[in-house]
Amino acid sequence: MGNQYLLEVNELKTVFSSESGPVTAVDGVTFNVKHGEVLGLVGESGCGKSVTAESIMRLLNEKHTKYDGEINFNGRNLLSLTNEEMLGIRGNKISMIFQDAMTSLNPVYTIGDQIAETIMIHQKMKKKEAYNKAIDMLKLTGIPSPEKRIHEYPHEISGGMRQRVMIAMALSCKPSLLIADEPTTALDVTIQAQILDVINELKEELNMGVIMITHDLGVVAEVCTRVVVMYLGQVIEEADVDTLFSSPLHPYTKGLLKSIPKIDGDRNKKLHTINGVVPSLNNIPNGCRFAPRCTYATEECLNEAPLLQVIKDNQKVRCWNYRQLLKEEVQNNATTII
Amino acid sequence: MKAYIIKRVLSMIPVLFLVAIFVFFLIHFIPGDPASVMLGPDATPEEIDNLRSELGLNLPIYQQFFQWTANILQGNLGTSLYMNMPVLEAFISHIGPTLSLALLAQGVSVLIAIPIGVLAARKRGTSVDSTFMLIAMLGMSIPSFLLALILMLVFGVKLQILPVAGYESLSSGILNHLKYLILPALSLGAIQAAVITRMTRTSMIDILSTNYIKTARAKGLRERVVIYKHAFRNAFIPILTILGETFGSLITGAVVTETVFNLPGIGQLVMNAITRRDYAVIQGTILIIALTYLTLNLLIDLLYGVVDPRVRLNRK
Ligand SMILES: Nc1ncnc2c1ncn2[C@@H]1O[C@H](COP(=O)(O)OP(=O)(O)OP(=O)(O)O)[C@@H](O)[C@H]1O
Ligand SMILES: [Mg+2]
Repeated sequence: MGNQYLLEVNELKTVFSSESGPVTAVDGVTFNVKHGEVLGLVGESGCGKSVTAESIMRLLNEKHTKYDGEINFNGRNLLSLTNEEMLGIRGNKISMIFQDAMTSLNPVYTIGDQIAETIMIHQKMKKKEAYNKAIDMLKLTGIPSPEKRIHEYPHEISGGMRQRVMIAMALSCKPSLLIADEPTTALDVTIQAQILDVINELKEELNMGVIMITHDLGVVAEVCTRVVVMYLGQVIEEADVDTLFSSPLHPYTKGLLKSIPKIDGDRNKKLHTINGVVPSLNNIPNGCRFAPRCTYATEECLNEAPLLQVIKDNQKVRCWNYRQLLKEEVQNNATTII
Repeated sequence: MKAYIIKRVLSMIPVLFLVAIFVFFLIHFIPGDPASVMLGPDATPEEIDNLRSELGLNLPIYQQFFQWTANILQGNLGTSLYMNMPVLEAFISHIGPTLSLALLAQGVSVLIAIPIGVLAARKRGTSVDSTFMLIAMLGMSIPSFLLALILMLVFGVKLQILPVAGYESLSSGILNHLKYLILPALSLGAIQAAVITRMTRTSMIDILSTNYIKTARAKGLRERVVIYKHAFRNAFIPILTILGETFGSLITGAVVTETVFNLPGIGQLVMNAITRRDYAVIQGTILIIALTYLTLNLLIDLLYGVVDPRVRLNRK
């Protein structure tokens, strides 16, 4: 049973010590990733997606960061590993691709050097061998004439190419988990689609689990199998992609879905927006964190924090009123059918 | 690449020419006459006048200037009026102490400043960081002659472990040679070291927060490799600029330091030449210093290309 999941994040808490006191950026996040699955991690800017990802990789400066909970990867709790042990995991068993392809590569080393470096440290290959492997990886990501490219510097290639290089680097040691933190936000739409295709294909080939961080629900619909929605450091809903798009339970998720522009929608109609702004981490609401912005909020919501509850086959939600909302939904649908 | 170097070397010529004009006229407008200085207070006006015409000082100033430039173009920097030897020879006989002093000051400051700067950046915000930054702050604000006097007082007079002043050439043994240079190098290099420490720290802090450093960590690289291979090479680019710039202050600083510690170097040569109104020596030496400065800056610019591929020229 325990080995069914590649990654189990269990009540993860990440607390930064700042000058104005501790800041809990991730507060009790729980989710799992299976082999060969693409899990979407979505939510507004600042909700803690990147901090969650970097906690899994243990990339945060640990002098100012405290973790709590468990991150079980292949049955080992990453939070209890030594630094030395983490070195063997990063870039080898778990890899990460970052949001900003333009600045994620070191400007003073060639592309070949940067890919080969990862291969050399984790696979104990000689330089020549590692370079050949780097060329293979670049070929896999669809870069034309990789033999030439490896001698180029990052400033000599385009953003889309750089992101492919990042992917080649991340996958060069055949990791079992890939964390892609908004891998396409900085790229234009056609390149976005290509990059997502590359990730998807390689996922199939390597049977890896993928955590796809994004705030683009279009990306989620395209590549993810399951989705975790975060709000202010917590998971507020988790579901299969189809379930999430067809019957979202949390008012926040509904708001997010409604705010996607539709091609066949009325152009004069204003896009839906969620009221208010995300509160700051120093000023977290007492009850449900979303309550101050929620149109359905009751007295209970403002005073008492709801837990993440399992509703049905693979759908979880953190909301007091989801049942009532569900009923309304059914009625609304019924009226539209009539 | 070759074309670039040739272009840069050619572009030095007008600069050197301007320096030459400037130095020539500046010195000739300083009141005081070499002939009367050389002959001493007891000389009669005729004697002085004779010497002046012998030295060509009676000619109109523009003729003197053309004469001098024509000589320089033939590689002749002139002859010292006072020492009675060619300027180049005088320069060469004084370069030893200055070269040793400059290399030692620059070398020591770089070897100390860069590792401390890196350490301070890594320990940013801790007491290690603030202690070093305080020392650097002091180092930057203390005038080098004052530091020189303090060092002399402490190590030379009180502790008596190092000579207060003087010089022994390299031929008398390396240790002997260094013994005389440690205090001068420290006082000359202090400001340099302080500036480089602060620059290194700032630059490293900048670089350590970039995305590619996060990438390097995410690859599973050791912290040592992240710092020295990935961060430092990038942080070194602005440090290189500072190295070029501080070299200028090293030269001017050397004049003061050599005077304080009584080192027979270029600084002393120039100082003496000024008091003696030894025109040829002043002009020639300053011209050579300017040339050295320009050449050094060219070398540093070429070094940029080695460190930073983005400025590399004529890549295939
Ligand atoms: N080192 C840190 N110290 C203090 N607070 C931090 C630190 N890093 C991140 N935070 C805070 O944690 C919160 C979550 O940040 P995070 O980067 O995870 O957001 P995100 O969901 O990835 O947003 P985005 O979509 O903009 O990338 C933010 O409020 C941020 O200010
Ligand atoms: Mg982020």
